[in-house]
Amino acid sequence: MTNDEVERCNLEGRTIVITSGKGGVGKTTATACLGAAIALEGKRVVVIDMDIGLRNLDVVMGLENRIIFNIVDAVKGKCKLKQAAIKDRRIDNLFLIPASQSDNKGVLTPKEMVQFGEELRKQFDFVLMDCPAGIERGFENSVAAADEAIVICTPEVASVRDADRVIGLLYARSITPKLVVNRIVPEMVKRGDMLSHLDMVDVLSVELIGLVPMDDQVVISSNTGIPLVLQKRSRAGEAFQRIAMRLNGMTDLPIEVPQAQGHFWKKIGNKLGIGK
Amino acid sequence: MFSDFFRKVRGNKTDSKDVAKQRLKFALIYDKLEVSDDTLNSLHRDIMEVISHYFEIDQKAFKLDIRRSDDLSALVINTPILGPKHRERPQADSPG
Repeated sequence: MTNDEVERCNLEGRTIVITSGKGGVGKTTATACLGAAIALEGKRVVVIDMDIGLRNLDVVMGLENRIIFNIVDAVKGKCKLKQAAIKDRRIDNLFLIPASQSDNKGVLTPKEMVQFGEELRKQFDFVLMDCPAGIERGFENSVAAADEAIVICTPEVASVRDADRVIGLLYARSITPKLVVNRIVPEMVKRGDMLSHLDMVDVLSVELIGLVPMDDQVVISSNTGIPLVLQKRSRAGEAFQRIAMRLNGMTDLPIEVPQAQGHFWKKIGNKLGIGK
Repeated sequence: MFSDFFRKVRGNKTDSKDVAKQRLKFALIYDKLEVSDDTLNSLHRDIMEVISHYFEIDQKAFKLDIRRSDDLSALVINTPILGPKHRERPQADSPG
């Protein structure tokens, strides 16, 4: 990594926190995918793992063995920003600032993060922050530096309830969040056994920015550390790509509702008018 | 497809997602009515102070509660009045 690759000044970057309240709904996957997709659109992107003590974004992105410095080092001035930002192996313009594994979340303060956010904004077009689960210090730190928010929610009651709480906390900080519904199983929605995105928008009263279907490729991608958006025929990857395009200015790109994948008999049934 | 078909024939039972949605709506309403102890304590203090301007009250017996029933919540205040307060009403522009 040469100095020139990271050093660039006076960009007016957007800082977006990716949060959910509940754990295990896909924040880290979403951060990795959106970061990669926006970088592929030619923007300069840094993704930051804010889950201090439990870092994961690095393994999901396949950059775990390149870590030398981390977010705590960068914020505390133990290293330069460009030393902490690891360049992605496959995608130009994509950088990762990993979490520290040995500290705890109390080591950083919201005030320090605001200052660090200002620094990041000058050097990147997009700053995506992977917020830890919960609404404690890790959340406070992530939100302090952000001016936009994406809330990830799966169509389950626990996730929706936590999302509602987080949305309230974001509003209290004058941030209007946008919703991504993740892990939609179209077949279940169709049967009436899973909340539809319309139900969720109705309950949460929040603007939608994307719908992501359940996709085995997500696990495969994290197994190999190859970005989901580079996998061919990943339905989730494509959905995240469209969200990235929306974030990157194509605000009128229509939101596609995931459809049940057509099976042979189902297609015949639909033709005959038996299908729902 | 066939499960859809059979359900149509059998007559519809309630979709589980509708149960989920209804439960969520109620849960979220209740969540928002939950008041933190700090808020409740300062409300307690403020109300007691205001009433004390007008009445002698038994501050130890003063009780403040939020009661919930299915469709509404009520703030319930219960305090014994020991007697009227014999002093001038505080001026509107006086501090405090």
